[in-house]
Amino acid sequence: MTQPSPHAPPPTAPLIELTGLEKTYEAGGTLIYALRATDLIVRHGAFLTVMGPSGSGKSTLLNLFGLLMRPTAGTYLLEGRAVSGLNDDATSAVRCKMIGMVFQSFNLLSHLTILENVCVPMQYAGLPRAAMRQRGKALLDRFGLDGRYGSRPTQLSGGQCQRVAIARALANDPPVILADEPTGNLDEQTGLEVMGIFQELHRSGKTIIMVTHNPAYRKYATQAVSIHDGRACET
Amino acid sequence: MNLLEMSVTVYASLTRHLVRSLLATLGIVLGIAAVVAMLAIGEGGRQEALRQIESQGIDNIILRSVKPAEGNAQQTTRSYTQRYGITQRDVEHIESVFENVRLIVPVMEVRREIYLGQTSTDIKAVATTPAFLEVSRCRLVDSRSRFLVPTDGKILDPVCVVGTKAARRLFGHRDPLGQAVVIGNVSFRVVGLVENPGGGRIGGQFELNNLVCMPLETATSLWGGITIQMRRGMAEKVDYDFLYLAAKNIDAIPGTAGRLRTYLRGAHAQVDYEVQVPYELLQSARRTQRIFTVVMTSIAAISLLVGGIGIMNIMLANIFERTREIGVRRALGARKRDILWQFLAESVLLTSIGGGLGAGLGIATAAAAEMISRLGGEAGLKAVVTSESLIVALAVSVITGISFGTHPAWKAAQLDPLTALRHE
Repeated sequence: MTQPSPHAPPPTAPLIELTGLEKTYEAGGTLIYALRATDLIVRHGAFLTVMGPSGSGKSTLLNLFGLLMRPTAGTYLLEGRAVSGLNDDATSAVRCKMIGMVFQSFNLLSHLTILENVCVPMQYAGLPRAAMRQRGKALLDRFGLDGRYGSRPTQLSGGQCQRVAIARALANDPPVILADEPTGNLDEQTGLEVMGIFQELHRSGKTIIMVTHNPAYRKYATQAVSIHDGRACET
Repeated sequence: MNLLEMSVTVYASLTRHLVRSLLATLGIVLGIAAVVAMLAIGEGGRQEALRQIESQGIDNIILRSVKPAEGNAQQTTRSYTQRYGITQRDVEHIESVFENVRLIVPVMEVRREIYLGQTSTDIKAVATTPAFLEVSRCRLVDSRSRFLVPTDGKILDPVCVVGTKAARRLFGHRDPLGQAVVIGNVSFRVVGLVENPGGGRIGGQFELNNLVCMPLETATSLWGGITIQMRRGMAEKVDYDFLYLAAKNIDAIPGTAGRLRTYLRGAHAQVDYEVQVPYELLQSARRTQRIFTVVMTSIAAISLLVGGIGIMNIMLANIFERTREIGVRRALGARKRDILWQFLAESVLLTSIGGGLGAGLGIATAAAAEMISRLGGEAGLKAVVTSESLIVALAVSVITGISFGTHPAWKAAQLDPLTALRHE
């Protein structure tokens, strides 16, 4: 359905490089390792799944990828640029233009229409209104939501909401999509439909990093990381 | 985020809970309404006071004879006549000593009844000189009219000039010019019709538009020094009831008034006079206005403080309720300042809407107060809404929004994106 961008870098070039990336907390005088020193390279066009039991550090890793938390130690390069130590404005700009996020609970803004929801990242990217709406509609059309632009998230099914969330993640055409258990709130059939969308995005050249509990989704991945007690290892 | 997108976002957020948003502005609405209404009524009162003062002539000093208290009465042993007030001697002294006075216009009340048919009226008759037209700020109403001229006094002509209100009462719709007015038992021919546009009064006493003026010499020749008989054989005599002094310029008024008071204190054994200085009254009215403004500002500040606290409260509750939304926006690329501006704009929009509604309510309240006060047919309150007061009201609303919205907006902007995203 979609073609890889002609300007996309070669699929083997590293998109993300983690070196000794670590996240610790202190609780009651005890140092807790949410993520132990992790080295990882994610190349352009990869489909990475992150698996592990609850509390193992999957979400911590995803939040570090998404710059929603700062690492305690180590470096995080995104397209060769160290991004973990940036100030708030620069971090926000990276989140806005380089990273698309899809959440388990969709996190759509219920008081906005689905078109407005899709437009939110583009507002922060400073796109003109007309261009923004045009792109928002095209994205919704792409995911089978044409004609539903004025609907509110509460009027849609879970699968439709997740499709809106994916459309929103693609709004600024970021190179990487982070998905935190995107099928966790969906039934099996709808979950498979959503995975089909991710597979299609991967084929179009997007780099997908997905946290999941479901080992069946391993088959979609080109790369897999397993985490136990904060220790990440490629499998 | 550009301004248009910001406006759309803010509008969407506020209309999400429309009733709550409107209730949040209630404090601001009532505060601004009270301020606008009171400013309108205050401004109306100020303009009315200024009109009254200015209608007396801002460059005039007016002396009025005042009957002293009984115990101070200065009696002549034989005639039991009580003399008081402004005397011919005063006039001569002022003429010779007060170099900044360019005109002296005496006014004497002719204590004689004016009848409408068989019924006596409250229309007053005064005797004065031709310069009265100028100092009283009256104007001739039609081109056929004239005021008193020096010849009238010289030939003791029984002519008079009537005010518009007096003319209406005496002659109805008939042309007053050439008609006769009977004062005492003497018939006077009307030669002029005058009007004081401000509806002023002589020395704050007699309404200028309800007067009949005759030449001073004619009145004196008819009735001599005006003396009226009182009870128990007691009589009173006044040379002049009022004395208008027109200053050469306004700057000379305070000094001249001061010297005049000093002179009168020395020349009169008792306080049987009153010195009215419209210029001083104007200054006093301005001082009163300033006090009124300070009081109003204080009331406005208190009401807006209450309204502002209400807004801050609602905004803090809003932010708590929308913590997850803040987290989502931050995760999608919003900077801290985008969140700050969004919530600050919401707060300012709320208070501006409150200010707008309050201004409308204030105008309506002022108009209603004016209407109710005039229900009896009398001249009541006057409300004047100035564009300045509306601008101030709206500016204050915006400032309130900024002042009380900054803290909640700053708090929203400081939220950690991840913590906000996990908020239930």
